Amino acid sequence: MPVWNQTNVNHLLARTLFGFSAKDSQQAMGYGSFTELINKAILVDTPLPAPPNPWVTTTPAQIQQDNGSAGNWYRELTYWWYNRMLSEGLNMQEKMVLFFHNHFSNERDKVNYPQYMYQQNQLFRKHAFGNFKQLVKDVTIDPSMLIYLDGNNSRGTNANENYAREIMELFTLGIGNYTETDIKQAAKVFSGWQVKGLVSAFDSTRWYNEATVTVFTKAAKFKYDTLIDWIFEQKAAAEFICRKLYTEFVYYKPNEAFVLQMADVFRKNNFELKPLLSFMLSSDEFYKASIQGSKIKNPTELMVGTSKLLQIKMTDTVNLYELSKTLQMQLFQPPDVAGWPGQREWISSTTYSHRGGFTDSLLTGRRFNGVAVTGKIETLPFARSFATAEKAVEFVDEVVGLALRFPLSDARKKFLLDTLLDGTTVMNWTTYVSNADTRINKFLKTLMRLPEYQLC
Amino acid sequence: MKKTVTRKQFLQQMAWLSGGVSWGLGSMTGKAYAQMPAAFAAAAAGATRGKALVIIQLNGGNDGLNTIIPSEDDIYYSKRPDIAIKKGTGLAISNGMTFHPAMTGIKKLYDEGQVSVIQNIGYNNPDRSHFRATDIWHTGSDAKVVWDEGWAGRYLATKYPGFPMKLPKDPMAIQLGSVESMLFQSDMGRFGTVFEDPNLFYQLVNGTSADTDLPPATLAGDELGFLKQIATSSIQYASVIQTGANKGKNAFTYPTTNLAKQLAIIAKLISGGLETPIFLANIGGFDTHANQLNQHLNLWKNISDAVSAFQNDLKNQGLDEFVSVMTYSEFGRRVNQNGTLGTDHGTAAPMLVVGKTVKGGLLGPNPNLKNLDSNGDIKFVYDYRQVYSTVLRDHLGLDAVNTQQIFKQSFERLPIFNNSVEELPENSSIELVNPVPNPVEDFTLLQYSVFPPSVGVTKQTIKLAVYDLSGQEVHVIDAGEKAIGSYQLTLDLSRLSAGFYIISLSSATGQRINKRMIKQ
Repeated sequence: MPVWNQTNVNHLLARTLFGFSAKDSQQAMGYGSFTELINKAILVDTPLPAPPNPWVTTTPAQIQQDNGSAGNWYRELTYWWYNRMLSEGLNMQEKMVLFFHNHFSNERDKVNYPQYMYQQNQLFRKHAFGNFKQLVKDVTIDPSMLIYLDGNNSRGTNANENYAREIMELFTLGIGNYTETDIKQAAKVFSGWQVKGLVSAFDSTRWYNEATVTVFTKAAKFKYDTLIDWIFEQKAAAEFICRKLYTEFVYYKPNEAFVLQMADVFRKNNFELKPLLSFMLSSDEFYKASIQGSKIKNPTELMVGTSKLLQIKMTDTVNLYELSKTLQMQLFQPPDVAGWPGQREWISSTTYSHRGGFTDSLLTGRRFNGVAVTGKIETLPFARSFATAEKAVEFVDEVVGLALRFPLSDARKKFLLDTLLDGTTVMNWTTYVSNADTRINKFLKTLMRLPEYQLC
Repeated sequence: MKKTVTRKQFLQQMAWLSGGVSWGLGSMTGKAYAQMPAAFAAAAAGATRGKALVIIQLNGGNDGLNTIIPSEDDIYYSKRPDIAIKKGTGLAISNGMTFHPAMTGIKKLYDEGQVSVIQNIGYNNPDRSHFRATDIWHTGSDAKVVWDEGWAGRYLATKYPGFPMKLPKDPMAIQLGSVESMLFQSDMGRFGTVFEDPNLFYQLVNGTSADTDLPPATLAGDELGFLKQIATSSIQYASVIQTGANKGKNAFTYPTTNLAKQLAIIAKLISGGLETPIFLANIGGFDTHANQLNQHLNLWKNISDAVSAFQNDLKNQGLDEFVSVMTYSEFGRRVNQNGTLGTDHGTAAPMLVVGKTVKGGLLGPNPNLKNLDSNGDIKFVYDYRQVYSTVLRDHLGLDAVNTQQIFKQSFERLPIFNNSVEELPENSSIELVNPVPNPVEDFTLLQYSVFPPSVGVTKQTIKLAVYDLSGQEVHVIDAGEKAIGSYQLTLDLSRLSAGFYIISLSSATGQRINKRMIKQ
């Protein structure tokens, strides 16, 4: 069992939540042990949230595209999801929803009615800690997925291969664990479905006529769900998703030995996610010092997490929405069916610079292009919420410990302290000195512009 | 052989860079832009413009058969009853092939001899996954081998051996967009500078800082080192790019599409004097599994109009002889249409190379729609690395041995450019390039290369000599044991009498290459 201390607890929060505030961290410490914290907070089932708006049950119709409703609704849906993340508390549900949105990647450019994407988003929430095999079955006939990977209207006589390929390559097995023939045969099994209104419907006259099809050398009259059962009997299935979970939550290059341990746990628990996640999050592997701070924050973690860190009461979700596009992580619009590749792929010369622009905006109340940002930091109340606020050295230490998962050298800390003091002395520091708010903002800006801040 | 940046080198890089950069750290508004080191400025002033390659990536798998259409092939129409481009509407190329009707701009360039269409490009054991196939095209590997460096990254590592300890004056590679392509990644670091707009990029970098502390030797420390490298090169190049964009201009009106905007920026930067050898632009939407006709038409109209504007712009500024454009996509699409009026993932497809210095024309046989592979896909005729090798050597001027090292095997080049060889003997261990100039008045430049005749061999005995047409040896230029490598020498032929001659390179293993030369 890992050592129960603030460093390890903050690491757990950084990986399972979209960032955290000082209060979140204190609250987590109150659980007293990882078993308690993980089982009573992080992995607790929570009921589905209320929908953003009644439009979610409106039957899709062309008029919604023509008059711009669909676009506006997509915005509302995205704001709604950001607010879910901002108010997630100590629960991992929203992190898992994003994990699945990335895993079963669907793009709003193709699924252009937000009603479908909302349904899919709630499906992910429902299964966040549930049964992964059942989730794959549900996703297979989910209207959004049928539209996105062309299962919609695919007929057995001339089946569209798109979904059959991606379920094997990207959703369950990984490349090298199937043949082109398996794909062609499976495509027939997945045919016959159509999206009608808000739901999907099966029409056996559109299905395949052959007595059997052969997938992974087994001939049967497979249906979509029995084929998925068969896919999950392939050895690669448990390993594939465990590897993906590892690379998302632990370290981006998989430790294959540990992945095999995870797969073993997953199979023994019949593909239930909760025992698997509990195993992963309680393992010594997860808390290894050399991987703490090794994850490059994705833009959603960066934006939501900074808002929490700075204790912003009413986050400007429009700002988040606009910057998510710039930072290359517009929700409901992953780049392709493989989702966002993550880690170093988030960073280029341009996105790196824009990240600094975003963190600045929560201090200045202005975006890089001058547009006003509504919920910006209330600097002095923020500073005074720390018990150490009036002691410069301790204050820097505490804020750095909260904001960075990466150990900072004494020289860097000294530099941050000098930035805060800005000419005054440690002895003379109080949050009541003139321009204390400017000094604190400058300190925070410098802190969040450190490359270390991009890591969690 | 795998090169990586050591921690010591990283430190050196940081130390070197901090000499030329006034760091923004510690100042809210202080600028953190690089000064151009004086030595570079001097070198830049006297330099002539180098060649540039503009790569356009077509994301999603372009349907080659509806781009370069086999209009006279009945099988095409029978396999695509609903989505074939109607007979008689395509724009004539030759040999029964036509351009998609939307490609009017490219057709015009083709008629002017500025477009080479290379048919049936692919590789052995083709992969039909978008991601794996894209990686193969980016790294230049065989299908069964996984490499993690881009072929352009390896080229740039050869061209800029000082990187990452020293950054050259101009960006080594520029990508319009936001997410850096694998194409520019290498074990030495990332060569690409990525942005959407030069001025905005400059503005954003303001306030970016990076310290010179050595990151700790942990997994997390590696990621921090990576972030610092990106921060450092952004600081270095933001001002160079902005200055280039302000100095350069566009001399033609571009369409308003995204691709056209990207190409307009590239033209402006080239016009502004940036010596960047490789640019990458990008257009997505080619994964046409359903209802593809309109979608595909719009995509090719976009490309055709944008490329045509780009060529006109370069021509108006006298820059067209320095720049070539190459298109590629991760795969072609299946010959049969699918059940949703689209096409599924396929294999071989055509590539286009556009520019003033290309030979122009249609290369290779028409797609064979009778003899398909077991999946119903077109078999490739040319390996995609033949095109890359040709572009590297005949356009970017890389020598034979370095080109071979990039792909770890040598590929026969294709006659794409005016200076390309017509054909090369297969499995040759020597190579001789046509003398330039030819006909010769007094001096001519000769290039030849010696490859390892077998694995592990590091030298070969060769003889390079001039013969007259009767086979009489006139002059031995070079002979003896030569280390593996490329050689270049200038011949003074002013005393040779006018007439026809043969320059011949022979090896001890019995191979011989002859080139005709005319002395005036």
